[in-house]
Amino acid sequence: MSKVIVVTSGKGGVGKTTSSAAIGAGLAMRGHKTVVIDFDVGLRNLDMIMGCERRVVFDFINVIQGDAKLKQALIKDRRLENLHVLPTSQTRDKDALTTEGVKKVLDELREEFDYIVCDSPAGIERGAHLAMYYADEAVVVTNPEVSSVRDSDRVLGLLNSKTALAEKGDGSAVKAQLLLTRFDQNRSANGEMMSVEDVLEILAIPLLGIIPESTSVLKASNEGTPVSLDEKSPAGKAYMDAVGRLVGEQIEMRVNPGEQRRGFFQRLLGRTA
Amino acid sequence: MQSGKSAAQTVATVKPLQIRGRTFTAIALHLTGRPDRTFFEALEARLNQTPLFFDNAPLVIDLEQAAGLDSAQELMHLTAELRRRKLSVFGIQSGTPAQARAAAEAGLISLPGGRDAALERVSRQGSRPVPAAPPAPKEPANLMINQPVRSGQTVFADRGDLIVVGSVSSGAEVIAAGNIHIYGRLRGRALAGVNGDTSARIFCHALDAELLAIAGLYRTSENLGADTPRQYVQVHLQGEVLRIESLK
Ligand SMILES: Nc1ncnc2c1ncn2[C@@H]1O[C@H](COP(=O)(O)OP(=O)(O)O)[C@@H](O)[C@H]1O
Ligand SMILES: [Mg+2]
Repeated sequence: MSKVIVVTSGKGGVGKTTSSAAIGAGLAMRGHKTVVIDFDVGLRNLDMIMGCERRVVFDFINVIQGDAKLKQALIKDRRLENLHVLPTSQTRDKDALTTEGVKKVLDELREEFDYIVCDSPAGIERGAHLAMYYADEAVVVTNPEVSSVRDSDRVLGLLNSKTALAEKGDGSAVKAQLLLTRFDQNRSANGEMMSVEDVLEILAIPLLGIIPESTSVLKASNEGTPVSLDEKSPAGKAYMDAVGRLVGEQIEMRVNPGEQRRGFFQRLLGRTA
Repeated sequence: MQSGKSAAQTVATVKPLQIRGRTFTAIALHLTGRPDRTFFEALEARLNQTPLFFDNAPLVIDLEQAAGLDSAQELMHLTAELRRRKLSVFGIQSGTPAQARAAAEAGLISLPGGRDAALERVSRQGSRPVPAAPPAPKEPANLMINQPVRSGQTVFADRGDLIVVGSVSSGAEVIAAGNIHIYGRLRGRALAGVNGDTSARIFCHALDAELLAIAGLYRTSENLGADTPRQYVQVHLQGEVLRIESLK
């Protein structure tokens, strides 16, 4: 059974594309056949973050408009056997996306892939709407600040009403989970940013993971590597934990997996004292 | 990437248009005179009570009690003013022939009167079948929402109480003809008794509201005061005063 997962947020710049790439790579690493689709028509960021921008010949829009076959547009990742990217067009605008076109492409992808990860554009207009419309699950990317939380709340309302599952009217719903990104423990502790509890209290959905603010994210995106492939990065580890939870594993929530070692030393020190 | 031919073929497979019948609810704005300054002030006050509720709502201007308003210019001005307030005016109803002409000139369509008038006419003529049963008298209908009401959403219990099992987010609106019960935190706006029921109340587990209103009398977060109880509260009207009391 294949799953369509939309990575969405309402607000821009919160880490949707970073998260789509990291989650896609993480799922592929775990052996699931995965494709990541870029719905941000006109901006084309995903292929850069995934390091395949030079290999784009045909794109999602070409497939929708019947100018290319899906097989011609899919780019197979060079590092991970199971990972594919469906890039978007740099030149068209989001009106090129149609409900029927998106459905057709997703249906075709469902036959071949275990996971279809949709990287949504910001906003709540057409592009974002179509990215979420056929989703089975949603990863709602939120930064610990008031405006991001409010936009996520808005998006959750749309997931509950403006999706194919919600429109069935039989009680089906897109399963939405929260991915709190760019989290900075210190700034949260001293009140500069919202706490995990505050965000959860407002959004009232399950927590998929907490991704710390980390310089390794920018480094990875400059290199065109999904950050989850960086084993040393705390953000990468947090993404791998989140992927584990996404596929249904019970993994303890750690605010900063990178700090594990320090915790270990602290424990040692605690013992000798 | 490929020739224009394949693009043309793609287009040909898409149906150029579809026509579907559709019914929808519109708001009728009953004018009782000329749209002067007092009118716009009253309108403004009404819109401020439930800002999201009327946002871009389809609206028809009812001219039954505004017989004098029959110049296209005045209708155009009114339409522009209403649209500026995000009301989507599309026509007039119950107008005289002169008003209908003015409306056409102002780019508005003319609808026959509301539904009541139409039904009456049908049964008097007796030529067309009368609807089998008269519309049942409106019974109160409560509305239960079992999930959080999110920012940007409006929930309206137009004939009874509204019960929300969950929180109401900042930027969300809950409206009821009757009482409002919120088993969660109220961060958005709550308007009870919107049809004028001054005995309506608002109950909530935690109060952090942007606006509270009963029968049109409202208080906003700015004038709630620091000593307002915030946990397990009820809001009710005492004369002209909106009181917020702890239930404990
Ligand atoms: N955990 C993180 N730590 C540091 N920077 C991050 C993190 N997540 C995202 N960023 C940075 O934030 C910016 C926006 O990220 P992006 O994934 O493009 O967001 P979106 O797709 O939501 O617009 C990028 O510069 C990215 O490198
Ligand atoms: Mg993006």
